[in-house]
Amino acid sequence: MFYLSRIEHTLRVPPSMLHLPILDAIKGELEKLFLDKVVAKLGLCISVYDIRSVDGGFIFPSDGAATYKVVFTLIVFRPYAGEIIIGKVKESDANGLRISLGFFEDIYVPIHLLPSPSEFKPDPKNGGKRRWVWDYDGQPYDIYETDEIKFRIHSIDYPAIPVDQQPNESNSKFQMEEQPKENVNVKPFAPMVVTATIDYDGLGPVSWWDGSGDADADAEAEAEEDS
Amino acid sequence: MKILEANAGALTNFEVLDFLRSKGAAKDPTRVLAKVAPSEYKVYDYLNQTHACNQTREAIIEFVDKSKKYDLAKAELLNILNLRPITPVEIFPIIEDSDVRMGDDGIQELTEMVEQVFPTPQTEPTSEAVPMEGKEAETMAEQEEIVDAGQEPMETT
Repeated sequence: MFYLSRIEHTLRVPPSMLHLPILDAIKGELEKLFLDKVVAKLGLCISVYDIRSVDGGFIFPSDGAATYKVVFTLIVFRPYAGEIIIGKVKESDANGLRISLGFFEDIYVPIHLLPSPSEFKPDPKNGGKRRWVWDYDGQPYDIYETDEIKFRIHSIDYPAIPVDQQPNESNSKFQMEEQPKENVNVKPFAPMVVTATIDYDGLGPVSWWDGSGDADADAEAEAEEDS
Repeated sequence: MKILEANAGALTNFEVLDFLRSKGAAKDPTRVLAKVAPSEYKVYDYLNQTHACNQTREAIIEFVDKSKKYDLAKAELLNILNLRPITPVEIFPIIEDSDVRMGDDGIQELTEMVEQVFPTPQTEPTSEAVPMEGKEAETMAEQEEIVDAGQEPMETT
């Protein structure tokens, strides 16, 4: 799930950081630059682990900042295919589930990777809000939102940043009013998308497999509704 | 930016949590004073819900020693450390062909061993045993050690 990655970067340290010890200044700049960002093919940067070497300190003409060549190590979040992780269900809709880890929320379980046969049914206890139900030998197993869920990584994608704009079909003056409506259902761009599966023994909501069965999950859901 | 080495070693959840604790994430209730970014606190919060919050370095080394006889892949070991499976059904998805490679008895034995090495916590986890803040140089030296220790369990298989 977490890896160390060695990176080399040419870093500009602004003069306002000159009062700090050099390693602190560089670490601060690196954290500003990398923390909580996704680097394609590398993963989500969690933390600057250490600084291996600092070279240079060249000041370019007409620039007040020193430029260093820094080799450092990052802690990155990059799950591997086949890894099992526990997260929380964030949303469920007709396309499947979305799972959150707290610090990373672009994990999707599409329909074909749910245990089959699964159905997207309204939940009578929860005001008709729909949730996925796994039908196992006639026994329904529900997946509620906020369930703790165990999933296996199927694949990781790093979509390219979209550069071309959507072609504007209508040039009417009401365009500004129409646009937000169209964008309501469009997913915001995510630089790293993880596809996961829960179609295997031992995967799915943790309550399915802890021995107490579905009755326990029902009781939990009811307790949540009451509170 | 140049990626010199994309994979310079895998870390267990415990090692990441330990690193964040050593940065001072544990003992700052206001979450403002310690030099820990908000995104790092999110990771810290997630890891604190996992079994990593009760593990110790000694227990992990003990587990890696004891699991040598099962001939597990590095990724499988890493997954077992992160998830602490204590029932056979939790082992199935982690270990490929577990029933063929280990047999029912082997799986049962492994779960018992996991439970014995990483016992179910009885009390609050002690998160106070973290290095003092402000010792930058020492923390750097410790980080070096973490790298070594971190790679060691991975290379045993």
